[in-house]
Amino acid sequence: MKIELTDKHIVLRRTVRSFADREIRPIAAAIDQEARFPWEVVEKMARLGYFGIQTPRELDGAGMDSLSYALIVEELSRASAGIGLCIAVHNSVALYPLLTFGSEAQKRRWVPPLARGERIGAFCLTEPNAGSDAAGIEATAVADGDGYRVNANKVFVTNGAVADVCLLFVRTGTTGGKEDISVVVAERETPGFAVGDLEDLCGMRANPVSSIRLCDCRVPAFNLLGRPGMGLQIGLAALDTGRVGIAAQALGIAQAALDESLRYARQRRQFGQPLARHQAIQMMIADMATRVDAARLMVYRAAALKDDGRPFGTQAAMAKLFASETATAVTDLAVQIHGGYGYSKAYPVERYYRDARVTRIYEGTSEVHRMVIARGVLG
Amino acid sequence: MKERHWIVCVKAVVLDAAAGPARRTAANSILNPFDAPALALAFDLRRILGGTVTTVSMGPPAAGPVLRETLALGADRAVLLCDPAMAGADTVATAAVLAAAVGQLSPVDLILFGTRSADSDTGQVGAQTATALRLPLVADVQTLVWHDGRCRVTRDCDGFLETYDLDFPAALTVRPEAAATGDLALGRLEAAFAGQGPHVWDLNRLGLSPGAAGQAGSPTVVRQLTPVGQRKTCRFIEGDDAAKADELVRRLVDGGLIG
Repeated sequence: MKIELTDKHIVLRRTVRSFADREIRPIAAAIDQEARFPWEVVEKMARLGYFGIQTPRELDGAGMDSLSYALIVEELSRASAGIGLCIAVHNSVALYPLLTFGSEAQKRRWVPPLARGERIGAFCLTEPNAGSDAAGIEATAVADGDGYRVNANKVFVTNGAVADVCLLFVRTGTTGGKEDISVVVAERETPGFAVGDLEDLCGMRANPVSSIRLCDCRVPAFNLLGRPGMGLQIGLAALDTGRVGIAAQALGIAQAALDESLRYARQRRQFGQPLARHQAIQMMIADMATRVDAARLMVYRAAALKDDGRPFGTQAAMAKLFASETATAVTDLAVQIHGGYGYSKAYPVERYYRDARVTRIYEGTSEVHRMVIARGVLG
Repeated sequence: MKERHWIVCVKAVVLDAAAGPARRTAANSILNPFDAPALALAFDLRRILGGTVTTVSMGPPAAGPVLRETLALGADRAVLLCDPAMAGADTVATAAVLAAAVGQLSPVDLILFGTRSADSDTGQVGAQTATALRLPLVADVQTLVWHDGRCRVTRDCDGFLETYDLDFPAALTVRPEAAATGDLALGRLEAAFAGQGPHVWDLNRLGLSPGAAGQAGSPTVVRQLTPVGQRKTCRFIEGDDAAKADELVRRLVDGGLIG
């Protein structure tokens, strides 16, 4: 197969890179340090279509393919991983299930405002006692008249503090098994919906990750996505798509770390010559560039397979696993090349180092991804 | 009243300096940044006076994506002037081809150019095209307003602000401050690449002979491009902040770097 960017993808990459360099990069360190969600940039991105990348045009999206989505997330994450995360999650695990499993009426109601960026989406699966073990969730949606009464305590919700439309994984049955799990859409305005404190995270601090609690929250039956008991199916399909986004995000962080390391190694002199002339540094640069290149091929391949309508789940899991481990390895080497300055906020590599770490944890840990890959390989 | 027609001549410029004559590809070509304000000004004119905006570029097939970018930004139509016999053109031969295209796209109200290209940097093509078409030209336009049914433009020249009233058709070269350029929306980019691309016109379509275009039609030839190294020196300015600022300004003025 051919993994090649078309003219459209080349122009798109340049367009997004130029926007990110001008609008996001200059504030990236500040929004990280202040843990601030930059509404001023987010609103511009909304007007430009970044919140509806793969949403069809008739639902007010840009109607782009998965490779375009990956390129956009990569380029945004190269400037600020927290902003890249906002766009990745909103477009994949929040919008994708609505587009794939939503009824026509549900799509008409929720998708256009999300695609226009007037409302922000979130995916609420993780709970204090259920992370990798998704079937262990305790949130409930009990039938109540013509709807459900929902009680839930969701944690580590990406976009949580700004989310308007949340896909909530809940138990609608009482067997205790995974067939009880369903997805309901909960909107911020609903009485009983409460946003908790921001999580005080190591990285991704520009994203308002928070907990979300629903206490006796009445949700109409209309808000059930798919059928009762389809929750895990919806979740797994969403995560297959989401993996491409997180892999692209990790790739963007790794590329940023490589870029900074190249710049620093050429400029910083030790023992009478630039760092780039020292073989020890060259070995690190070679490893970094090789891993980034391989990660890029894997991410683009997974996206291209999805665009071709071919099975891509295993390849997306491989891309997510490899790109996230690449990001942590490459940012670690970037800090090493920068020495003491790399451990200081005077240079961006310490931020990349912190941001990279979570890509091995969220939307499926590396260990869960190895399980997914093994299942795909062993059959 | 006839529909207005605004033509913007644009160039796909190479991102990196070439060691010799540049070979353009989709990956290394971008819309000349100095042309973006001319395009934005054409969109402003369309918004105020109506009509259509056509973008025109002479270049290899690799210039096609740049013209699609102009469609994504809002152009109604794009025309790529592309023929192997156009290769190696200097500014005179480029102007001859652009003038032939404008002739075929006429009637036209205003032809807009950037002030120069970011790669070859001559600043000659706008003036030469206007000359070939025997149209009035105002160069380095900073503002444009519609005033009493005429186009009023201003330009800064040696410390004087010159104001001109123009009848159409005419040509302008446009400075970056004349119009605010916008960001490209993703949906428009997708639509521009999914829809019909630029029309492609060769010499035959333009009614030009091979001798009038490309290297054959060029009175000048670039023999060699040689990078010129710049020697960087560092001088420290002593004193308190105010004294240092004064001294810095004096040195910049003396060096002719600021006026």
